[in-house]
Amino acid sequence: MKLFNKVVGTSIPRADAHEKVTGTALYIDDLRFPRTLKMKVLRAGVPHAIINSIEISKAIDMPGVHKVFTGKSLNLDKNHLFGTCIFDQAPLAIDKVRHAGEIVAVVIAETEKQALAAIKNIDVDFKELPFILDPIEAVGKEAPLIHEQNGKYHHVPTFVPEPQTNIFYKYHLKKGDYEHVFQDAEITVEDNFEYPLMNHAAIEPHGAIAQWDHTGELHLWSSSQAPFVLREVLADYFKIKQMIKIHIHIPYLGGGFGGKSDYTIEPLVALAAQLVPGYHVKFVLTRKEVFIGSVLGRGMKGHMKLGAKKDGTLVGIEATQYFSDGAYGDTGCNVVLAAGHNCVGPYFFPKCNLKSFGVYTNSAPVGAFRGYGHPEGQFMIERLLEKLALKLGMEYDDLRMKNFLRPADTNSLGQIINEHNGDIRKCFTQTITKLNEIPLPPEDESFFYGRAAVGLIKSPVQTANASSNVFLKFNEDLTVNISTGGVELGQGSLTVLAQIAAQTLHIPVSNIRINYEINTQLTPYEWQTVASMTTMRVGNAIISACEKSITQFKQNAALVWDYALNDIVYDGTKVSYQDRFLDLKELVLGYQYSDGHTVGNPILTTGSSVVRNVTFPDLETGQYQPYEWTFGSQGVDLKINKKTGEITILHFVTALDAGKVINPALARGQVTGGVMQGIGQALKEKIVYDESGNMTTTNLRRYAIPRLSDMPEKFSCIFIETPQPDGPFGARPIAEHPALGPPSVILNAIQRVTGISFTSIPVTKERMLNALKAGEK
Amino acid sequence: MELTIIINKKDYAFSVDPSDSLLSILREHLSLTGTKNGCSQGHCGACTVVVNGKAVKSCITKAKKLENAEVLTIEGVSSNFILHAIQEAFIEATAVQCGFCTPGYIMELYALLQADPDAEKEEIHKALEKHLCRCTGYQPIIDAALLAQEKIKNS
Ligand code: FES
Ligand code: FES
Repeated sequence: MKLFNKVVGTSIPRADAHEKVTGTALYIDDLRFPRTLKMKVLRAGVPHAIINSIEISKAIDMPGVHKVFTGKSLNLDKNHLFGTCIFDQAPLAIDKVRHAGEIVAVVIAETEKQALAAIKNIDVDFKELPFILDPIEAVGKEAPLIHEQNGKYHHVPTFVPEPQTNIFYKYHLKKGDYEHVFQDAEITVEDNFEYPLMNHAAIEPHGAIAQWDHTGELHLWSSSQAPFVLREVLADYFKIKQMIKIHIHIPYLGGGFGGKSDYTIEPLVALAAQLVPGYHVKFVLTRKEVFIGSVLGRGMKGHMKLGAKKDGTLVGIEATQYFSDGAYGDTGCNVVLAAGHNCVGPYFFPKCNLKSFGVYTNSAPVGAFRGYGHPEGQFMIERLLEKLALKLGMEYDDLRMKNFLRPADTNSLGQIINEHNGDIRKCFTQTITKLNEIPLPPEDESFFYGRAAVGLIKSPVQTANASSNVFLKFNEDLTVNISTGGVELGQGSLTVLAQIAAQTLHIPVSNIRINYEINTQLTPYEWQTVASMTTMRVGNAIISACEKSITQFKQNAALVWDYALNDIVYDGTKVSYQDRFLDLKELVLGYQYSDGHTVGNPILTTGSSVVRNVTFPDLETGQYQPYEWTFGSQGVDLKINKKTGEITILHFVTALDAGKVINPALARGQVTGGVMQGIGQALKEKIVYDESGNMTTTNLRRYAIPRLSDMPEKFSCIFIETPQPDGPFGARPIAEHPALGPPSVILNAIQRVTGISFTSIPVTKERMLNALKAGEK
Repeated sequence: MELTIIINKKDYAFSVDPSDSLLSILREHLSLTGTKNGCSQGHCGACTVVVNGKAVKSCITKAKKLENAEVLTIEGVSSNFILHAIQEAFIEATAVQCGFCTPGYIMELYALLQADPDAEKEEIHKALEKHLCRCTGYQPIIDAALLAQEKIKNS
């Protein structure tokens, strides 16, 4: 076999880089259409209120205005709710607002300025209600009810709400003798933890453009990670009986991180466009609106308790997590589920009693965010293991090594860990070895120096029948077009998938083109681009399509030679049988004899990859089968300025068992980017609401995402490669994982060197300094 | 008000509102959509362009102040399908992920390295510190900046 079989595992340049460095890559706000109107919205400004009335008549008469509408003016009611798990929200408020960023009125006008001017002329009369932001308060008996109809909404059977409370979903996982979790414990530790609300802060704000054509078909362009979820939600909401009448288009995305998964503004933009048929209605969020009016992430308050033997063997775990999921629960459901069973981290516990609650509060709704329910639990367990090690008088690292999951162990869900799931001990020891390469300076007059390492685990959370599907066509010149519904949101899927195809087909990667624009009319079904699964799931679909193409080439040749298929060899340029061969070009459209008649078919195939053996959670035990896991470990060296409280990351090490790294430079980019997001969560980021229930962190200064100066002085990335048997070339998911560990490992390092135990984040400079000062007294 | 601005070496006459930003002129009047809008508040740097040799955030630059100014945007950086050294460096150093911050960074570096090809590492850091990138973790961007400087010096 010749050349081109080595592209997997090499850092070829990104397929989309040229377009992106020249500014020619098109994102949602760059799209231009004829007859485009601009949309602007009025948001509540109060967190919880009954809408007495909204006066829109003045706004309607303003120059350039085409339409002004409210939930009431369109007669929306309980038949106009949408969702995927719990159908609890309408495209805009109807008679009640449940968070201050909720939309109460919409203006469609010729220009943005005209729309904004009209918005100023809308008057709303609210009857304000008591509001609640804290999820633990929100489950209390006295708490105001945010959804009176909780329990009456349509929902899928797995997500059961508790009527007459603010709990829209309770997950309870029981493993072993869960009622006597600490019976065998000789020592226990416990604590309360808090992981605040956060924002994904992709640099591209959300946007959507919708148009209804003269036949009543819906065309929608969106900055979305989930075109096919949108299609389903919109078909259901607008009662469009045939999906062929919905055209969802996705351009390049300027980052997503979960904040553009499921749906956000699309139902409302489609609703607005329906009022002005033929026009394109465009709505792009301002940065402030991204904060107050898209989705947030995390927001967990919880309690965890661990039991162990005196030798450090863990025997049981109990945890309760309350998620402040904001005004609507639909996008939070699966996060609550994942958080529930994954909070045990990469450790073995014979007994588990784990509860997690999805709770309505009066913040913006909460949904997926890189890590999807894992960082919260990872934070709790890794912080609590420190406490346990101290109480036991045991080395921190030894306690972890002793309890990491081993092959044949069962995780919290009772799934058996296999050798092929990866090697967490190797990740952990290599992390420590890497840290040790640079000695940590001893404390001096100005600085404390701290070091710590933690383990991590993540499983991709996906619906039980999630699938990826591709179309593949060979062109006459042996270039290949592959069509996928996987979205390129920066992660590098176009490049990695081309590498997988090139290596399978043994052709140059430059001959492969993966589509970046998605159009649900042309692109095969893809569940959605989340859960770090694109390399794995779409990659597998591509391998299957490529293998079928190879078979088709052989079939064409077999017709010519009349040999059995199995004897024919394909090598990327020709097929051969002993000393006879045919160039692929002679076969790509079928084989044509010299007299013109043709046998065989053009090379055109499909490939699919469906998640197997994933089941729904059992309502009684919480047990179910999710997909498998990726193990890893992260370590840090940091210094703390004694005078200012400033924390500087000196060295940040990440080791992941990636199975197989398809493109090392891109994989490394996922690690550096993910680690920085994790550092932001540890030290800087937190969504804050004021006493009026309005968010104050509504720009990129007040909500401080990491800057260049926050970057570790040194990043190390280690990839272990224990092949995933069902992964493409052995690869497994790694994209979310680097964001998991920074909060716990940084807080552990702080505690080891200062003795100060933080149980919530972010640990800002000011907070660190205050704690240091308090410690001096 | 009427106004002439030289954008990517061509003269353009506009009638603008006093409140119009340079960013809205570029994107909405000329469809020069390579310049990105990440915040409109001067916080992210995605909208950075070069005005009279200096990198500025176009979202907080009023168009009315730019009579006869020379503006360079990402669309004016490469010519005839040939990439500029900075663009090449961003590709080679894998400094692009979603790419939304990329044009802003490239324009920032363009102004800096045009003015001072020997800029010290600290100056490069200072210039790049004005920008936000949510994807890369910054390391690849620093690598690209240093590589670009090397390429420019050697050319
Ligand atoms: S768009 Fe100008 S700085 Fe963000
Ligand atoms: S590459 Fe996405 S923001 Fe920088």
